[in-house]
Amino acid sequence: MKSIGIIANPASGKDIRRLVSHATVVDNNEKVNIVKRIILSAQGCGVDRIYIMPDTFLIGYKAIEDLKISRELKIDVEILNMNIKGNVMDTIQATKIMEEKGVKCLVVLGGDGTNRAVAKSITTTPLIGVSTGTNNVYPQMIEGTVVGMAAGIMATGICSIDDCCSKDKRVEIFRDGQLIDIALVDCVISRQKYVGSKAIWNMEDIDMVIVSRAHPASIGFSTIVGTSLIVRTDDDFGALIQVNTGSHRVKAPVAAGTIREISVGEVRSLKLDEAFYFKPGYNGIMALDGEREVPFKVGEEYQIKVTRNGPYRVIIDKTLELAQRNGFFKR
Amino acid sequence: MDLSNEKLIQMYRTMKRIREFETKAAELFAEGRIPGFVHLYIGEEAVATGVCANLKDSDYITSTHRGHGHIIAKGGDLKYMFAELFGRETGYCKGKGGSMHIADADRGILGANGIVGAGHNIAVGAGLSAKYRDTDQVCVCFFGDGSTNQGTFHEALNMASIWKLPVIFVCENNLYGISMHQSRHQAIQDVADRAVAYNMPGVVVDGNDVLAVYEAAKEAVDRARNGQGPTLIECKTYRHRGHFEGDPTVYRDEEEVKEWLQKDPIPRLVEFMLDNNVVTEEEIKKIDEEIAAEIKEAIKFAEESPFPPVEAAVEDIYTDIVEEVRS
Amino acid sequence: MKTITYSEAIREGMRKRMRENPNVFILGEDVGEFGGCFGVTGDLVKEFGEKRVRDTPISEGAIVGCAVGAASTGLRPIAELMFIDFVTVGMDQLVNQAAKMRYMFGGKISLPMVVRMPTGAGSRAAAQHSQSLEAWLTHVPGLKVVYPSTPQDAYGLILSAIDDDNPVVFLEHKLLYAMSGEVDLDIEPIPLGLADVKREGEDVTIIATAKMVHEALAAAEELAKEGIEAEVVDPRSLFPLDKETIFKSVEKTNRVVIATEETKRGSYAGELAAIIAEECFDYLDAPITRVCCLDTPIPFSPVLEDYVVPDSKDIIDAVKKLL
Repeated sequence: MKSIGIIANPASGKDIRRLVSHATVVDNNEKVNIVKRIILSAQGCGVDRIYIMPDTFLIGYKAIEDLKISRELKIDVEILNMNIKGNVMDTIQATKIMEEKGVKCLVVLGGDGTNRAVAKSITTTPLIGVSTGTNNVYPQMIEGTVVGMAAGIMATGICSIDDCCSKDKRVEIFRDGQLIDIALVDCVISRQKYVGSKAIWNMEDIDMVIVSRAHPASIGFSTIVGTSLIVRTDDDFGALIQVNTGSHRVKAPVAAGTIREISVGEVRSLKLDEAFYFKPGYNGIMALDGEREVPFKVGEEYQIKVTRNGPYRVIIDKTLELAQRNGFFKR
Repeated sequence: MDLSNEKLIQMYRTMKRIREFETKAAELFAEGRIPGFVHLYIGEEAVATGVCANLKDSDYITSTHRGHGHIIAKGGDLKYMFAELFGRETGYCKGKGGSMHIADADRGILGANGIVGAGHNIAVGAGLSAKYRDTDQVCVCFFGDGSTNQGTFHEALNMASIWKLPVIFVCENNLYGISMHQSRHQAIQDVADRAVAYNMPGVVVDGNDVLAVYEAAKEAVDRARNGQGPTLIECKTYRHRGHFEGDPTVYRDEEEVKEWLQKDPIPRLVEFMLDNNVVTEEEIKKIDEEIAAEIKEAIKFAEESPFPPVEAAVEDIYTDIVEEVRS
Repeated sequence: MKTITYSEAIREGMRKRMRENPNVFILGEDVGEFGGCFGVTGDLVKEFGEKRVRDTPISEGAIVGCAVGAASTGLRPIAELMFIDFVTVGMDQLVNQAAKMRYMFGGKISLPMVVRMPTGAGSRAAAQHSQSLEAWLTHVPGLKVVYPSTPQDAYGLILSAIDDDNPVVFLEHKLLYAMSGEVDLDIEPIPLGLADVKREGEDVTIIATAKMVHEALAAAEELAKEGIEAEVVDPRSLFPLDKETIFKSVEKTNRVVIATEETKRGSYAGELAAIIAEECFDYLDAPITRVCCLDTPIPFSPVLEDYVVPDSKDIIDAVKKLL
């Protein structure tokens, strides 16, 4: 079976960043359209079965229905039979089911939160994160047709994971020795206390940033590191930096449309698997890939590590180039 | 930015006042002591509370048929509210409006409204007025998901946007337009998507998390005061009770109700406050007792108030004309 | 005294109040640079700018609703609907909001707003641009309804309408816009609820509104040639209604013809007839007669429209039947 999976999050692209960083709300009917383009493109590239996560907006059903009406759908597209909760658990569960079904590539439409949820449970299946908004650090802005082609190439096995994918790093958060959460790109430690509207944008509350990778072009809090030190995806280290303290000043694109000048300490690199111990002296919250997720309290003990336990991420250009060299597109 | 303990406690108090007011209203209605219809806000308290916590007395709101919560959050007096529900002379509207028409011009409450979708354009007018008079006032327009299928919604967003008016459109998406699930009454899941068509920011927040609502509303209110124009905030929420008291709610299944009851905004805030040492259990108990006493007092005030004289029926139609009484 | 048109008289009235009170403003479709669909707002935007002479999108609900919101928060809006026929689109805002807010809120709010509506047939505009819907509007407690027939009345009444603290529907007959007349721009506002006897007579009372006032006056001239002296009473304001002037005339003439441009069924003319029958029955020597449009939509073709809409000949016929 040359199968792929599609997870499309109906809730992505709508959060408070629409207000605080000049982003546009992403409408779900466009997500349906993107899914349709991925299906058609994957179908055209040899995929014979596609699994789609069910969701509250029925993105998968709508895509299938439309493609049946237009008589363009030739392959089996199946919506996973699972109960949905309308929250992040759906993504985690769908990822597991799709891996059990043996999909050769998992396409994820959503923001950092959605990709992070997939990354929590995915094992060896290559991942393509498709950004559906303006403010993402992990998923890429890329046309669905190209995504479908790359997924199709992975499904047909003409290129191997080793050749086309990057095994990503991630930031792991441990409390009392237990892994409690992860970030794909950055973990921000903030003095803010509550989850609220999730996104984090108030610079003055931030204490520290820990990154798995950093680059000035990778908009978000990781740029606070990235403007001083580039940390590439293939570098075997991460980094951390103290914020709102220290003698250095950097300017960094901490959010879309927002360049901020910030006082920082020295960048410190973190070797893979090296534990950074964090004993909070105040109650606050950790934001993972830009979303406030883990509240912490005085007296708790945390270990934060950068590891190579992230997902296999399909490098789209490389995959298409390799496929071309292998004659994939020749008839 | 972080919320002060004082603000958190104030928001708890508001939510609890709404909850208790509505719970009592349900009881009184069931006992036949309140005539007419009542549409209760139980379950949606975080929306009115989180939004109105950003407003001043001089700011405006327009409300809906499910308006008690908005009025309480904007500073309405429970005594006059109950008196109005009882149809008494001392009520906010001298007994002429009832549950669906409570207004308090002194607090910028431009009225609950019995017509679904009617508040949108009135809010635009109030926003225009604030801008015209060069004040820093804003107007919050509360409405449900069902009303976004009315033409007025689209007219209002369009007008507010072209004129960059200080209006915050707050959609309380409780998933149902009366009995019709949102998936059946509109081809979108997020009302916020509609903001795109009117060139304004649209944002979705968890309407059962008062802190999330507060944050989003704060940004939107700031934008409005700064002259940056309108915002559409969609709060995902749920009414614990039927569309109106007496609604058998055959259209929603028990599982769904159960799930949403678990997301009840009030225990969520309590848990956060206890967890962060904002208040103690004793302090909460004390607040609850104060509210219970206030409500008891308000009901007593209402029930002991006289009904209006029948001749009052012909007054207040115009500022200068009193209609003829029955001869 | 100055000779100006009905349309200019309305404009000058608005100009006067806008100069005096910065909270008076105009909103409506094409009222700005375009000057209004019938040219009533004319050059006002030049004097007062776009803030106070505000072009709106084609959204009648929003125009009326916006006026309601503005009026309830301290301004005095004058909203223009391009045709009275379009009030259907803004009807909720007018009927359920503007008219009822003060009452529903126990008198704790007032709505000083005017909604101007070009009204009436005769411009070959067919069924959706020619109606006379005054019965709908006078039916609603909470609205005042004004309908002037001359430039001077239009001027005096628009001043009062703007000064009024209640929602006032200001009807303007489209065929009167170009009518010229002597207007005293320094007069006191004409109070709402004051009728005007446009011609005195002893034999019959013709109560007429707007353009029908002129048809009635023409009819009266014809009738005079035959020795019949008709009194023409123009209520000017439909609500509040000056019953006293009407009753006084009925007492004198004992015969009543009511001429309006509405379709007869359910008309305001019917309401006038009922009031007179209820309160002046003893003075009547003949049945009250209504001269109205036929009960049809207004047709397009000039021959059809002229057939449907009443004129002086119909009034003459009606009067003669009573004598």
